[in-house]
Amino acid sequence: MGTELGNYKLCISARSTDKEILKKAQDGGIVTQIFKYALEEGIIDGAIVSGPSDEPWRPRPFVATTVEELMKSRGTRYNISPNVSFIKEATRSYGLDRIGIVGTPCQMQAVRKGQLYPVGLRDVPDKIALAIGIFCMENFPYQSIKQLVEDHAAMKLESVKKMEIGKGKFWVYGERGQVVQLPLKVTHKYEQPGCHVCLDYVANLADVSTGSVGSPDGWSTVFVRTKKGDDIWSKAIAAGCFETKPIEQVKPGLELVSKLANEKITKNQKTVEERAKFGVNKALRNPYISPK
Amino acid sequence: MKDNSVKPEEKPVPVKADVEKKAVVLQKEDKPVADKIKVGHVHMSGCTGCLVSLADNYGGLLTILDKYADLVYGLTLADVRHIPKMDVALVEGSVCIQDKISVDEIKETREKAAVVVAVGGCACYGNITRFARGGQTNQPQHESFLPVGDLIKVDVYIPGCAPTPQLIRNVCVMAYLLLKGNKDQQDLAKKYLTPLMQLAERGTEACGCDLMYDVVNQGLCMGCGSCAAACPVRAITHEYGKPNVNREMCIKCGACYAQCPRSFFNFDVITGFEGILEAIDGALK
Amino acid sequence: MSKIVEISPTTRHEGHSKLVLKVDDAGIIERGDWLSITPVRGVEKLAIGKTMDQVPKIASRVCGICPIAHTLAGIESMEGSIRCEIPRDAKLLRIVLQCANRLHSIALHNILILPDFYIPGTDTKINPFTPEEPVRSVAKRIQRLREIGQTIGEIAGGEAVHPSNPRVGGLYKACTPHAKAKMYDLAKEGLVLAHEQMEFMLAVLNNMKKRDWTEVGGKQIPLPKTLGYHNQGYMAAHPMYASSNLDDNPGWDPQRWTDVRPWDWYMGEGEVSLADPSYPIGGTSPVGTKVNPQMEACTGVPLYDGAPVEVGPRARLVKFKNFDEKGTWGQHIARQLEYTDNLYTIINALDEYNPSGKVLADPIPQGDGSMGWAANEAPRGTDVHLAKVKDGRVLYYEMLVPTTWNFPTCSRALTGAPWQVAEMVVRAYDPCVSCATHMIVIDEDKRIVAQKLIQ
Ligand SMILES: Cc1cc2nc3c(=O)[nH]c(=O)nc-3n(C[C@H](O)[C@H](O)[C@H](O)COP(=O)(O)OP(=O)(O)OC[C@H]3O[C@@H](n4cnc5c(N)ncnc54)[C@H](O)[C@@H]3O)c2cc1C
Ligand code: SF4
Ligand code: SF4
Ligand code: SF4
Ligand code: SF4
Repeated sequence: MGTELGNYKLCISARSTDKEILKKAQDGGIVTQIFKYALEEGIIDGAIVSGPSDEPWRPRPFVATTVEELMKSRGTRYNISPNVSFIKEATRSYGLDRIGIVGTPCQMQAVRKGQLYPVGLRDVPDKIALAIGIFCMENFPYQSIKQLVEDHAAMKLESVKKMEIGKGKFWVYGERGQVVQLPLKVTHKYEQPGCHVCLDYVANLADVSTGSVGSPDGWSTVFVRTKKGDDIWSKAIAAGCFETKPIEQVKPGLELVSKLANEKITKNQKTVEERAKFGVNKALRNPYISPK
Repeated sequence: MKDNSVKPEEKPVPVKADVEKKAVVLQKEDKPVADKIKVGHVHMSGCTGCLVSLADNYGGLLTILDKYADLVYGLTLADVRHIPKMDVALVEGSVCIQDKISVDEIKETREKAAVVVAVGGCACYGNITRFARGGQTNQPQHESFLPVGDLIKVDVYIPGCAPTPQLIRNVCVMAYLLLKGNKDQQDLAKKYLTPLMQLAERGTEACGCDLMYDVVNQGLCMGCGSCAAACPVRAITHEYGKPNVNREMCIKCGACYAQCPRSFFNFDVITGFEGILEAIDGALK
Repeated sequence: MSKIVEISPTTRHEGHSKLVLKVDDAGIIERGDWLSITPVRGVEKLAIGKTMDQVPKIASRVCGICPIAHTLAGIESMEGSIRCEIPRDAKLLRIVLQCANRLHSIALHNILILPDFYIPGTDTKINPFTPEEPVRSVAKRIQRLREIGQTIGEIAGGEAVHPSNPRVGGLYKACTPHAKAKMYDLAKEGLVLAHEQMEFMLAVLNNMKKRDWTEVGGKQIPLPKTLGYHNQGYMAAHPMYASSNLDDNPGWDPQRWTDVRPWDWYMGEGEVSLADPSYPIGGTSPVGTKVNPQMEACTGVPLYDGAPVEVGPRARLVKFKNFDEKGTWGQHIARQLEYTDNLYTIINALDEYNPSGKVLADPIPQGDGSMGWAANEAPRGTDVHLAKVKDGRVLYYEMLVPTTWNFPTCSRALTGAPWQVAEMVVRAYDPCVSCATHMIVIDEDKRIVAQKLIQ
């Protein structure tokens, strides 16, 4: 395995031991459980998470400072939630000194760039106490999700209970028990274009990153990456927050994560290269080379 | 404004995480203070907010002055009247081309300084002085204010209004390593400063519209929200995940675009964030 | 015969200014002109046609040391024009922001003036950046006080330098209970430090008051007991915060304000005839340098009741607390006395602040072009902004900023001092010169009146 999984100190399969969290969590409830633990222990004094808004399945970032608020953020909403937009405000009118933030790999990149190059993020860099990344193959504009659910899956968005991408399919579960699966080739056209130059699948820059891939249903694959992440993770384990299984002993295991990560990076690297000859002697911008 | 022609020698940078090791070198280094670099603060038409930001490194400012940099010029903080030779000039403010003293001073700065850093939106992009149009007594002819880069070559940009104490600090530390460090440290400093140098080459215009021109229009936006967080006048909201700029609030400081991970993202530096942040922290203890 | 000395640029304050001094044979100032030579960015003029929301954000950027005053005076003059009352909790957070900024500003000013002063009991001047004790502990305390001020300001105001949270109609965001608690804790810590710092500064100042001379450029220069005395009046609109045309009893009266142009007030053409290469640092301007304050000055001369006035900490204490110490030392002392007032005011405002209260007026009127004004007590004194807003756009905008009020007063206060200590007199006003860009045209009659009064 190469660099596609980033640096990590530990990779493990895990699930929260809190039944309440698992009721509505997307996978093993890792994100909500760590934040809950960190909040209760005073490791963070709030977390930027994404919760429901006034339109069905449209996410809205907010700052959760209580477990009650945190519980509202459980589950994945497969469309854009600009979580990083709160990263400065959290230190201002919310007065946080130790911020938790969850986000996709690109959002973790944004957080780290913000810490190293805080152009407009005064006094934020040293206040990031816990950055949790979630795996991500792609994301969608809201309208895409609407069309996928309402046109392709023939369900009203309001009556959807859960959405999921896994086992090569886009799954839509209805409130009344219906299950629709769409092949991923249908979803591709609906993806957000910015995802096509994305070179990170498993949130390489998070303190802890997690996703469903690699672990059995209801469980999550977890990478513990940084000193901070390691510290919090070991304390949470010691406190009995998680059940764990060695990643080597679960199916489909790390190999699948690696495979998907490589596929994503290879495909998108190609897109990045093709952009260099997009026009006639005219390139599209390449953010990995220069801001010009 | 921008040249998009293909440059065949430029290949996308592979995703590698080898900087972390190098960054640690900076920490292990026992005597970082061979000799200090000479830094000056040159005040053009700015508000001194940039300088306040520099001073807002609080205890860290004292450490910088103890160990890494001598403040050899700066009308507000230091008692020096005329621009001396220096390693790094931190220039704040834009240049009024109807004011001869200002024009002379910026040229002199270029002659006297090895590295010129444009600090803040005014120096980089004009910021609010882009709206100036003269007509105010007692100098109604003071009409035209240009970003520093329109009159002299600028080496490094620190956009934002006010620019942040932490970015100013990072650039000062990196400038120190570049000029006084060992090979590995110089390497890291070069890599760190590269995008800020490229921003200087990119041009002297900035505005919230850049998010549209160079990110969304280029198919690069992924809706992270950094731009909205960065804006110092709350001109940016996210509508269904994408930025909307209230152009009648934007002051043209350039923070949003520079903060956007899709304006630049240098894997070779940012991947090593843990080591670099620790090293900078360590250096300022 | 009198000679002309020029010190250009002056140092250790904000912005560009210079001193043109007519001195007698003994080097005593007969007439001093202190003037801004900062290019005029013309914010009052560029404001016309822009939205009432954007203009205060631009006005904030006139000065990075009292940006809070410019933001709030800007916004409140707009609110004065559109007749918009803001919710109580928004007002309380604005007061917190105001005092937090003044706290940091006083502390910063301490750094700027300390090099003029002696460690009590010694003939050693203070270099605030030296790592040696006892100075280092003082520098650290100053930086911590600044950090406390800036951090409270950042929470209440959104940003530490140019605040982003205040807006026409109130604020964008209320502070949460957690944020309130944090500000409260910081203010409590600050109070202890502010007491210590105030005591230290008062000791340094009282020591200086007793000295007969100070060293400048290797020479012992006598210090007159009346250093910085003037017989102009004082002006202040409020002990801590501000007043506007929406108040029942406004603390400032636009009818009493007039303006003259530098042409009528400053010296005309002249030539430097005395130079001192040993003056720190780099010497004064060489003999033969042409000077022309009335052409070079970048600000106008605002008058209250037809005469220049002093604004700032001493003016506030004279108006509201019967303070009576005069001159440069008195001015410095007044500033130190404000240290703890800021923190008490923050604590009281936070006690009253309700985090679940409304912070934005609804609806926000768009204005019919009526005149509004707000006089904010900035760290350096009264900062008056006047505005007319119609349909959400600015028709007219004026900024009568503190340093502009002080330029002529300070110029007069130079008389009688040895020219070598002129910069010390200037620094007692804590000038922030880049904001001082105001000037308007007045009608002939008023101009003649003003001229006469000054002569
Ligand atoms: C767009 C997207 C694509 C994904 N693709 C994959 C994939 O290809 N493979 C894979 O293994 N996992 C993927 N995931 C991650 C997966 O769906 C779960 O979010 C993850 O496993 C965490 O589950 P959990 O039970 O631990 O978290 P929970 O305890 O259920 O908490 C979920 C957390 O995710 C946050 N969140 C929800 N929606 C968003 C959003 N749109 N943007 C940012 N944060 C959000 C919430 O704030 C909440 O804190 C994707 C997630 C998203 C948002
Ligand atoms: S694919 Fe990449 S760019 Fe798109 S949302 Fe996921 S992490 Fe972000
Ligand atoms: S960039 Fe902002 S802080 Fe700096 S001088 Fe300009 S207005 Fe002031
Ligand atoms: S900062 Fe994020 S949301 Fe803003 S333009 Fe860049 S990618 Fe898009
Ligand atoms: S939108 Fe905001 S951050 Fe971007 S240039 Fe304008 S003022 Fe600066």
